[in-house]
Amino acid sequence: MKSEVMVGNKAVAYAVKLARANLIAAYPITPQTTIVQYLSEFVAEGELAAEFVNVEGEITAQLACLAGSIAGARAFTATSGPGLLYMHEALHGTARYRAPIVMAVANRGVRTMGPDHSDMMAQRDTGWIQLYCENNQEVLDTGVMAYRIAEDAGVRLPVSFGLDGYVLSYTAEPVEVPGQEEVDEFLPPYKTEYPVLPETFDEDIERYKRHWAKGKSIDEPFTPLAADESFSHLTMVNWGGPHDQQWRWRSHQEAMTRAKQVIKEVDEEYGRRFGRSYGGLVDEYRCEDADAALVAMGTVASTARAAVDRLRRDGKRVGLVKLRSFRPFPREEFRRIGADVDALCVLDRSISLGDEGGIVYNSVRSALYGLDERPTVMGVHLGMAGKEVRVRDIERIGERALAERGGAEPPVRWV
Amino acid sequence: MSGVTRKKMSIRDIPREEAMWPGNPACQGCAGSLAGRLVFKALGRNSVRVEVASCAPGFMNIRVPSFFSPAFEGAAAFLTGLARGYKIIGREDIVVAGLIGDGGTVDIGFQGLSAAAERNENVFFFTYDNEAYMNTGGQRSGATPYLARTATTPVSRVSRGKAEEKKNMPMILALHRVPYVATASVAYPEDLVEKVTHGKGIRGFRYMQINAPCPTGWGVEPKDSIKVARLSVESGIWPLYEIEEGHFRLTYKPRELKPVTDALKLQGRFRHLSDDELGVIQERTLGEWERLVGLDGKELY
Repeated sequence: MKSEVMVGNKAVAYAVKLARANLIAAYPITPQTTIVQYLSEFVAEGELAAEFVNVEGEITAQLACLAGSIAGARAFTATSGPGLLYMHEALHGTARYRAPIVMAVANRGVRTMGPDHSDMMAQRDTGWIQLYCENNQEVLDTGVMAYRIAEDAGVRLPVSFGLDGYVLSYTAEPVEVPGQEEVDEFLPPYKTEYPVLPETFDEDIERYKRHWAKGKSIDEPFTPLAADESFSHLTMVNWGGPHDQQWRWRSHQEAMTRAKQVIKEVDEEYGRRFGRSYGGLVDEYRCEDADAALVAMGTVASTARAAVDRLRRDGKRVGLVKLRSFRPFPREEFRRIGADVDALCVLDRSISLGDEGGIVYNSVRSALYGLDERPTVMGVHLGMAGKEVRVRDIERIGERALAERGGAEPPVRWV
Repeated sequence: MSGVTRKKMSIRDIPREEAMWPGNPACQGCAGSLAGRLVFKALGRNSVRVEVASCAPGFMNIRVPSFFSPAFEGAAAFLTGLARGYKIIGREDIVVAGLIGDGGTVDIGFQGLSAAAERNENVFFFTYDNEAYMNTGGQRSGATPYLARTATTPVSRVSRGKAEEKKNMPMILALHRVPYVATASVAYPEDLVEKVTHGKGIRGFRYMQINAPCPTGWGVEPKDSIKVARLSVESGIWPLYEIEEGHFRLTYKPRELKPVTDALKLQGRFRHLSDDELGVIQERTLGEWERLVGLDGKELY
C-alpha cells in the first residue's frame, strides 16, 4: 500500500490498472480526458497489458467494449457529459448483452461545461448500475469494486461510476493505492463463463433449442449468444419457438435486485481486505438520533458532511445519507431511514424538467410511499452546471428541514 | 500483391460445405442472401459475423456465431471489439467478418468504418450493396446510383430519381491505405470466392463491396437478378477489381463492353429514363471504365 497525491482521473486510471482491464476504448472529452491519457501511458510503459483502442467517438468506444467483452475481454471506457449522451444508444446495447463492462463518468452537465449529474441521470433507464463517488479515494476503491460487482455470476451487469467533473477529476487529494497482489486476490483475472466460439456454435444452437423446447426459462443459462437477436431468431423463429422478448427486461430487473446485496457484500469484503468501506448502497453519517436527514450524492455529500458537523455543534440533530448506488436504488434502506426521521431533504444535482422536484427526490419519495409514518420529504435543486454549493447553503437547508419537519411538504426549492 | 500469380478459381473450387442452414426468409431472387452464402462458404466456419439493421437478419441462417450490433452505425465498432477481444483470449485465428448493407456502410456506418480502416483493425468488412434501404421499403442511400427511382427519390414532373452520383466507397477506403479492397458480383462467384479466400489470408483491414441486385427494390424479375448482376459487370457499370497494398488490378475485363441499357432496361427503377438520360449514364460509365483501365496494373498511391 502506498499513498500518493493524485487527481480523481488518475485514481480512475489506477483502479483500471489494478483491475487489470485488458481492453480500453475511449474518446477524449473534458473533464474525462486525462483518464485516457494516464491509461495510455500505463499501456505504453508496459505497466498494463491491454489492447488500447483510440476510437473516433463514444458510440464506437462503447460498442468496441461490448463486443470485446463478449469475446472475453475485461473492458473499460470513460466519458463525460455530451460524450455519455452520444453513447446512449450503445449503453442499451451493452445492457442487453449484460456485458460486465465498467465505465467511469467524470460527471459534467449536458448544457454547459460545469459539473452536475445530468449526464448520468439521462442514462437512468439504460439498465446500467450507477455508483457515485465522494472523493478520490472512493473513486479508486469503487473502480476496483465495480468489476467484482459487474462480473458477479448473479449480476452480470455493466457498472458506471461517477466522479464529479473538475471537483474530483482535476483536483488532487492523497489517495492510498492498494498493492497489486492484494487486488489480484480480491479480483482475479477475468475469464468469461460463456465464451462464444465458432467450434461450439452448433452445440450451442442445439442446446438452446432443446432447452427452450422444454419450456424452460429463456434466460437460463444466460449467455451473450442467448441475448443476441440473431441467435434468438435463429433458435426460435426458424424452429417455431416462442418469440417473447420481454424476458430480457424481467431477467435484467431480477439481476438489478440481486445486485443490491452484491454491492453491499463486495463493499464489506473490500473493507476487510483494504480497511476502507463505504456503507454499501448508502453511507449514513450522524443519522442515529437525527430528526432530519439530508440526502446527497457525489461531492455535495462532502459539503453536506461539513454542514452536518456545524449543525450538530449547535445541537441541531441533522444527519446525512450519502447515496452511493442510484441504480439499483436502495428502496429498503430509505424506508428504514425514513421511519426514523421526521424529515428527509434531498439535494439534487439534476432535474427532470416538467415534473416537480429532482430525479433523486422523486425516487426517494416514491420509496417511502405506504410507510405508516412518513417523514416530510423536501427537495432542493442545487449545483447545476457547476453552480457553487457552500457549506452555509446546506446548513440553512438543514435548519429549514428541522423547522418544517412533520408538516406539509414544502415546494421544491432552488439554491 | 503485384507480380504474384494467383490460381484462377473454377466453380468446382468453391467449398462444398454449406454455410447456411435451410429456411431462408429473404425475398425471391435475393442476391444479398447469395452473397452471404458465398462469402461464408469461402471464409469457412472458423469465423464470426456481425450484422446491423438491414436485410441481413433475413439471411441470418449462416452457420457461424452472429451478432446483431445494437446500433445501426456500429458495424465497424463491433467488429473492432470482437477482433481485439479474440486477440486477448489468444484466438486471432477466428475470422471476424461483417456482412453489412450499403446504408450501414456508406451512410450511418461511415464514421466508424473510416476510423476502423484508419486503425487498420484486423477485420473483413463485406458490404452487400443493393443500392438503397431495401429492408425498410427502398429509400435512397448514398450508394443509390444516379437517376434511380427509390421510395424517397420519386419520379415526377420535377424529379427524375436520385439527382446525385453513387458514393465510391471502395476507392474511399482504398485511400485509407488498407491492405485489401475489392469489388465483386454474385454473377461471378469464382471471382468473389477467390478474392474472399485471398483476403482471408491477409492481416489487417479488408473491404469487399458486392453488387447485390434486389428484385423487390429494383423492379427486377426474381429470375433475372443474376442476369442483371452479370450485365452490370459486362457493361462496365460494376467493374470487378481489387486493390492490394495500393496495387490496382481489374480482375475481369470484358472484351467489349455491352451497352448500359442492356442492364438498365431490366430494372423498373430506371424505366423512366429518356434516351438522353441513358446517354449520360452511358457516357459516365465509359469514362469511369476508361479511367480504371488506365489504372490497371498500376499503383493507386
